[in-house]
Amino acid sequence: MQQLNPSEISDIIKKRIGNLDVTSKAQNEGTIVSVADGIVKVHGLGDVMYGEMIEFEQGAFGMALNLERDSVGVVVLGDYLGLAEGQTARCTGRILEVPVGEELLGRVVDALGNPIDGKGPIDAKETDAVEKVAPGVIWRQGVDQPMQTGYKAVDAMVPIGRGQRELIIGDRQIGKTAIAVDAIINQKNSGVKCIYVAVGQKQSTIANVVRKLEEHDALAHTIVVVASASEAAALQFVAPYAGCTMGEYFRDRGQDALIVYDDLTKQAWAYRQISLLLKRPPGREAYPGDVFYLHSRLLERASRVNVEFVEKFTDGKVKGQTGSLTALPIIETQGGDVSAFVPTNVISITDGQIFVESAQFNAGIRPAMNAGVSVSRVGGSAQTKIIKKLGGGIRLALAQYRELAAFSQFASDLDEATRKQLEHGQRVTELMKQNQYSPMSIAEMGVSLFAAENEFLNDLKISEILPFEKALHSYMNSEQADLMKQINETGDFSKEIEAALKSAVEQFKATQSW
Amino acid sequence: MADMNTLARPYAKAAFEFAISEGKLAEWSAMLGLVAEAASNKEVANLLKNPSLGSEDKAEILLEICKAKIDDKGRNFILLLSEKDRLPLIPVIAEIYEAFKAEQEKSVEAEVTSAFEINAEQQKLLVDALRKRLDREVSLKVVIDKRLIGGVVIRTGDLVIDGSIRGKLAKLAESLKS
Repeated sequence: MQQLNPSEISDIIKKRIGNLDVTSKAQNEGTIVSVADGIVKVHGLGDVMYGEMIEFEQGAFGMALNLERDSVGVVVLGDYLGLAEGQTARCTGRILEVPVGEELLGRVVDALGNPIDGKGPIDAKETDAVEKVAPGVIWRQGVDQPMQTGYKAVDAMVPIGRGQRELIIGDRQIGKTAIAVDAIINQKNSGVKCIYVAVGQKQSTIANVVRKLEEHDALAHTIVVVASASEAAALQFVAPYAGCTMGEYFRDRGQDALIVYDDLTKQAWAYRQISLLLKRPPGREAYPGDVFYLHSRLLERASRVNVEFVEKFTDGKVKGQTGSLTALPIIETQGGDVSAFVPTNVISITDGQIFVESAQFNAGIRPAMNAGVSVSRVGGSAQTKIIKKLGGGIRLALAQYRELAAFSQFASDLDEATRKQLEHGQRVTELMKQNQYSPMSIAEMGVSLFAAENEFLNDLKISEILPFEKALHSYMNSEQADLMKQINETGDFSKEIEAALKSAVEQFKATQSW
Repeated sequence: MADMNTLARPYAKAAFEFAISEGKLAEWSAMLGLVAEAASNKEVANLLKNPSLGSEDKAEILLEICKAKIDDKGRNFILLLSEKDRLPLIPVIAEIYEAFKAEQEKSVEAEVTSAFEINAEQQKLLVDALRKRLDREVSLKVVIDKRLIGGVVIRTGDLVIDGSIRGKLAKLAESLKS
C-alpha cells in the first residue's frame, strides 16, 4: 500500500493552493545547446546573473558560472541525466540559497539543505544565500574567548579562539578528522553550535562520524552537511559555502558556532573539475587561477563580529552579544608534502595550523600532532588563564626534548641535567597522549599540566603516567569537586588555587592508588 | 553554434555598418536574406561543403544563383567571404545582421502562442501593451497551440511571459511537490 507523506495533509495542501502566486511574470529563457559531464551550455538567457539559479525542465537546477557572449555555462546541481539538447532553461532571478536556522540542528542534510537522514522534512523558517561577503573590518572584534577542543595537547600548545581559523593538516588516516570530531563532541555543554561539512568522502566514513556524534550526544547541537564522493562535483564545490551560511546564521545572531570543513582538498578537486570542464585555463597542478580565492573567501567568513554588528543585524533584538564562527578546515597532504599548491594556500589563509604527522602516529602518539611546527597565531590571547600559565612550560619542554633527543643519539653518557631534561620530555610526550572521544574539561587539563609542571610525575615509570593521570582525574572529580568546579567556571590560576591543587595532588600521591 | 556566432559577428557588423553608411539597410537585408536562403538550401549547402570545389567556385555558384538581386558591393562581400573560406557562415551572418537591424530600428518580433484564434482587436491590445513594456516597435507572429488550454505565451528573444493555463497548472504542480 502506498504511504502518505507528512506534506500531504489536507491543511498543508490547502494552504499551498491558497498561497500560490499565479500572476504571470516575465521570464528569461534559453535553449540547451550541449550537455556534457554535468556542464550545460545554454544559448540565450540574456539577463542571467553570475551565480544565478537556472531551472531546467523536469525540475533540475543549475548554477550559472560562465557568462560568455553567445552562451552561458551552467553546472547542474545534482542529476543531469534527464537533460537534453534543445530543452529550455529558465532564469529564476535568485542566487543559490539554503535553509538556515535552529531547526537544522541534529540533522544530516545535503549541500542544498535537503534532509537525507530519513527524519522527515525540516521546517526551517528562513533561507539565506550560499555565497556571501564576509563582514568588513569595522564589524570585527579580536579573538579573546577560548574554543576548547578537549585535547590537552591542542589546548595547551595551539590554543584556538572563537572566531579563529585553525587548519588541521596531514596525511590520510592519521587522525585529522578525529581531532575535529572530538572538538565538536567537546562543545556539548559549551553552547557552541557545530557544523560538520563532509566533502568528497566515502558514505561509510560519513555514516561513522554521524553515528559517533550520536553516541556521544553531540548530534543535537550539530548540523552535518554532506556532499559525498558519489555526488556531483558542483555539490561538492557548493557544500562548504552552504555549511558556512548555516553557521553564519548563529554568528549573526550573537551566538558562537564551530564549522569543520572535511576536507578542502577535495573541494578544490571538485572545483578543478568544474573549471576544466568549463574550459577555464588551467594553472599550477591544473587548478584554475582562482583556487586561492575559492578558499580565502570561504575562510574569511569565519570571524568574530562585534556587538554593533549583531545589534544591527538583528535590528536591536540581540543586545550586548558578540558572535563568532570558528573554522577548522582540514587539508590532506600526500606523503607529508605541505609545499603543494592547495596546502600552501590554505596555510597562508588560516590563523595557524595543527600539523598531524605519520611519524608521530606510528610512534603511538595520539593525537599525532607535531608540537614543533603546529602554531596558533591568535589563540594565545584567548587561552584560559590556568592553561596558559601551566601550558607554557609544556611547549618549551617538548622543544628542548626534541633537540636533546636528536643529540643524545650520538652521546652514550650524559650529564645529570641533560638526562633529567630528556626524561621530563619523555614524560610530557607521554602525558600529551589522549584517547579519541574522551575530551577533557579545563580543570582536568589544568590538573594534568600542573602535575607535569611541578614534577609530580618524575618518580613514575613512563608506562605509569597515563594510568596515573586517569586515577588522578577521577580522584579530583570525586574528592575535590568544588575546586574542579571553581577552575572550570573561572579558569583562573591564583595563589589559592595553586596551593589547593598542590595539596590535592600531594594527597592523591600519598594514596599510591594507580 | 556559439562558435559560429563568434566567427560570423565581425562580418555581420561590417556589413551592417557599411549598409548604414550607404543608407541601404533594407537592400542589404534583402540581399543577405536571399543569399542565406540560397546557402541553406540542402543541395547548395552540400556544394558549399564539397571539398573538391575551390572557394572561388563556390562563390561563383552562389552569385550565379542570386545574381539578379545582388549589387556590386554585395558581390564584393561574397567574394571576401570566399577568400576567407567563410561561405558556410552566411546564414548566421544574415541572422546577426537582422538582429543589428532590429536594434537600430528599435523593432522586435514577438511570437504569441495562444490556445485560440486571436482577433485583430486583441492583437492590437497585445501590440500596444508590448510596445509600452519593451519600448520597441512590435510585430506580432501568432501561433495556435491547443495544448496551452487557455491564455497566451508571449516570446520576444529571451523574454518569455507565460500567461497560459498550462503554465499555471505546472506552477501549481511544482508548489505542491516542493
